[in-house]
Order: sequence, then structure tokens, then C-alpha cells
Amino acid sequence: MHDHHDRLTILMMGNPNVGKSALFNRLTGANAVVSNYPGTTVDVTKGYLRKDRHSYEIIDVPGAYSLEARDAAEEVAVRILDTHPDAVIMVVLDATRVERGLYLALEVIERGAPCILALNMMDVAQDKQIAVDAAEMQRVLGIPVVATTAISAEGVKHLADMIRKAQVADLSAIRSRLNGQEPDQGAVARCAGCGGGGCR
Amino acid sequence: MHKRLSELAFGESGTVRYILASRHELNCLGVRVGKHLTMITRQPIKGPVVVAVDGMEVAMGLETAGCVSVEVD
Ligand SMILES: Nc1nc2c(ncn2[C@@H]2O[C@H](COP(=O)(O)OP(=O)(O)O)[C@@H](O)[C@H]2O)c(=O)[nH]1
Ligand SMILES: [Mg+2]
Repeated sequence: MHDHHDRLTILMMGNPNVGKSALFNRLTGANAVVSNYPGTTVDVTKGYLRKDRHSYEIIDVPGAYSLEARDAAEEVAVRILDTHPDAVIMVVLDATRVERGLYLALEVIERGAPCILALNMMDVAQDKQIAVDAAEMQRVLGIPVVATTAISAEGVKHLADMIRKAQVADLSAIRSRLNGQEPDQGAVARCAGCGGGGCR
Repeated sequence: MHKRLSELAFGESGTVRYILASRHELNCLGVRVGKHLTMITRQPIKGPVVVAVDGMEVAMGLETAGCVSVEVD
């Protein structure tokens, strides 16, 4: 049995309206608790996920465009990140707005926590004929990237399975991969979960 | 022709050439040098400016919009 000491905390972070809460509800089911963050009127929702032998506490962090906080919600997001140094970060992107979301994603990745990325709203991307290559993003970022559609639950099970394969990304390795080079030996070059073969 | 973003007329569009404000504040919203944008609304009485970038609407204060230099199409 796990007690709360070895229960991993997952922080779900992303821009507003990317479907964080919808994904959170899919992952945690009905056991969530909403409370205001102490000293603020910003709501934070917490829930739990059991997956095989793993037990996770999941926090739906208020939406943010960046970690240089410009409003109360972003301040709370940064404070939650600061107060959970051992957490795994699940960055959620809207697949139709990848470029904008990557700004926050890279700020989060830069802090050095293990990360996993959910590419949500894949149904909308398909409807709009926006091609998003999750496998290529995974190769470049060096963290697991899972395509999801929260409203139909597509990809959600896979996302839950991949939490334990979260990786610390290496910004200089990302930069060399973007420049078409293989990063130096020893850098986190690929998702350890699948040995780089792609996790699907 | 260059204009400040705050001076674009409704429906006018152009390409961002420089940002004289804290770049960070606009970059995280998807407004960067080289991006093409279209004016959607300029609220009266120094209200916010809303532009379309990459199919998204981005709202910003008039002061911030005044710090963005745009080459008009
Ligand atoms: N079509 C579609 N809609 C989604 C998806 N995920 C969330 N939504 C919708 O997008 C809106 C914003 O979702 P929400 O979870 O509140 O976003 P949050 O601000 O990131 O927590 C809601 O209307 C959701 O129902 C998805 O994968 N596909
Ligand atoms: Mg939400």
C-alpha cells in the first residue's frame, strides 16, 4: 500500500482553455476537491488517480501563459510549482495552438522537473486540418508527448500510462535537435520509456 | 508604412517588426516579431486592443499596443 509520503504529485499546467480541467476530470473521476488557494480567490482542484500499482495526487493548476506572473491565477500557478519541487509536471497544449502553448511549456521544462506533455484538442485539430506530429515533438523535446481528446477520452488512458515515464528535458539537447544535430552523449536524448522508438 | 499597433484601423493588418515593451508579455500570448496580425477591435476611452494572430484573438492594453511597431500590408 502507498501512503501519502510516496504518492507522486502531478501538476497539470497550461494556457487557459486548453482542456486541462476536462483532462483532469477524465484522469481523476469523481473524487476531486475544489478549494481556493490560501489568501486568494483563485480556485485550485485536487484529485487522485490510481493506475496499476501507482497512486497519484493530481492538481489542476490555474491556467497561465507564462511563469512571469501577470495576474492572480498566474501567481498561484507559480506558487504551486514552487511549493511542489518533487512533482511531475503534465503540460497540456491545445493542438490547434501549439506555438503559443510552447512558450509556457519551455519555461516549465527549463525548471528541470520531470515532464510529460498532453497534446489535447486533437479532434479540433483534425477538423481544422491542422497536422500535429506528436512523435516528432516527443523526439525533439525528449519527453513523452501524448495526443488526447478530453471530451471523448481518446488518448487519456495512454496519458495515464505514460505519467511514470515523465522525463527531465535538456534545453541544450532540444536546441541541438532543432538544429538537426544529435545531442552530446549522456544528454537525455530520448524517452527512456520506449528507448526512443516512440511510445505509441 | 509602419504604424503602432494601437493606431491600426479596424480590419487593417500587418507584420510585427519590433516590440519596444517587455517582449515577454506579448511573446507568451503568441505575438512575436515577424507575426502577421489583424486589428479586430480598439475599445473606446483607452480600452483594450484586440488583434487576430494565427487564428487566435489576443487582447492587450492600449499602452502595450503602443509599443508594438507594425509594417502595414
Ligand atoms: N473539442 C474538444 N473540446 C475540448 C477538449 N478538451 C476540452 N474541451 C472543451 O474546451 C473548453 C475548455 O476546457 P477546460 O477543461 O475548461 O479548459 P482549461 O481552462 O484548460 O481547464 C470546454 O468547453 C471543454 O469542454 C477536447 O479535447 N476537444
Ligand atoms: Mg480549468
